[in-house]
Amino acid sequence: MSASTPPLSGPPKPQAKALNCPKCGAAIVLRSFGQAETVVCASCHCILDAKDPNLAILQQFEIKTSDIKPLIPLGTRGKLRGTDYEVIGFQRRSTQVDGITYRWHEYVLFNPYKGIRYLSEYNGHWNDISICKMLPMSEGASANYLGEIYKHFQTCDASTDFVLGEFPWQVRVGKHAGVADFVNPPRILSSEKMANEVTWSIGEYMYGREIWEAFKLPGAPPEAMGVYENQPSPVTTNVTGMWVAFAAFAMLLLALMAGFDMRAKKEPVLHETFHWERAKVAGETSLVTDVFELKGRPSTVEVKTWAPVSNEWIYLNYALINQDTGQAWDFGREVSYYSGYDSDGSWSEGSRNDSVVIPSVPSGHYYFRIEPEVDPAVPAIAYSVAVTRDVPVFGIYGIAFLALLVPVVIISFRAYTFERSRWSESDHPPMQFSSSSGDDE
Amino acid sequence: MFRKLYLLYGALVLSTAAFGQYRGWSLDTINQLKNVPKSVRDNPGSYRSVYSGYHHYTGGK
Repeated sequence: MSASTPPLSGPPKPQAKALNCPKCGAAIVLRSFGQAETVVCASCHCILDAKDPNLAILQQFEIKTSDIKPLIPLGTRGKLRGTDYEVIGFQRRSTQVDGITYRWHEYVLFNPYKGIRYLSEYNGHWNDISICKMLPMSEGASANYLGEIYKHFQTCDASTDFVLGEFPWQVRVGKHAGVADFVNPPRILSSEKMANEVTWSIGEYMYGREIWEAFKLPGAPPEAMGVYENQPSPVTTNVTGMWVAFAAFAMLLLALMAGFDMRAKKEPVLHETFHWERAKVAGETSLVTDVFELKGRPSTVEVKTWAPVSNEWIYLNYALINQDTGQAWDFGREVSYYSGYDSDGSWSEGSRNDSVVIPSVPSGHYYFRIEPEVDPAVPAIAYSVAVTRDVPVFGIYGIAFLALLVPVVIISFRAYTFERSRWSESDHPPMQFSSSSGDDE
Repeated sequence: MFRKLYLLYGALVLSTAAFGQYRGWSLDTINQLKNVPKSVRDNPGSYRSVYSGYHHYTGGK
């Protein structure tokens, strides 16, 4: 807004021209200082020629309902995007698509220095609209305006149902216009074709609360329903950029995994085979291994167990005990393997190998206490225990990968569902549903 | 904005993964005990694992 523009919101107000309706005698107020082509009598709904000093009657229409009431009353003044405007006209328009009537409202705003602009409202979605200063270039399913590409959204036939106040054109109820919308959220480019005249307008999405604040309207704006054609997506992030960032992180994670895998010592510290015989272990079954030394920083210790079981099990109660400090890591591992043959063919489950990784074991002298429990059907079995220090845990990378992936998937899904909702209302829905053959019969 | 947050978050995830790997984190659940008596080495039966005596799977299809 230029500093020289006098405000409209504060007193003193500019003087509006007061006239009377030639049909019903009701007072007619002209607020647009000669810019109006037509003015509508609020009392008898006559559309009058605002350019005629006698206000010639151009059309009279009847309203079937008294529910049509502008959300912003005529004469309301407010500051829209830094400029003062007064609401001077209101019209309701509609279109029919597949037998469903869609209605929206348009408000004519006037500033004596800035001229006319418009607000449109549909289901709580608002647009601030002005006439294009340059002719957009229509390129098939898209249009180019000031270097920005707008995608075609829909084309429909719009008719005017109801008018009130002043209009800078020859407004008529029942008048039809071919409307084509092109979108580049939050902007919308519309062409309106009447007879041989095409008018292009550019709009920008506004939230109801912004309108309410601008015109200082009481209460709360109607809640926006659904997704509007040029409504900005709540996902403001560049989704492709997010995937690029994810790919970069995944590569780094891979490099990290390779680096730690090469750096891991994978140092064997114990490998023993134990023989268990039921006849010899009538009493205590537990045993201890030789003492081994773990060196260096706290690291993982992998315990691998192998037992030649076949349709049987062996369970080993392990305790890795630090000989010096008495600290112990206690865990149990089962090795079992079952196989057979039935009507579905051969099957197997379990494994003769088991592996477990003990976390963050500090350096020191250790030994294992092992207490085997064996399937009652097994008279004797030999099992091996192999202990390796400082092994990489690949599961950590798996969790990190998922942690990196999940936010990107959520963002992408939100963006996709929003755009899908937007375009499902267009002439180019994301998925075409073919009608059943029964409809044609 | 969100992309910057994600970059920060990703860096944190990678750092945590690297730190965990360096410190020897594991995904297995292992019960830790303290002050196991030294006599266990000479008398293994004096220690009882918290996992011993469980019912074991006697599987098969």
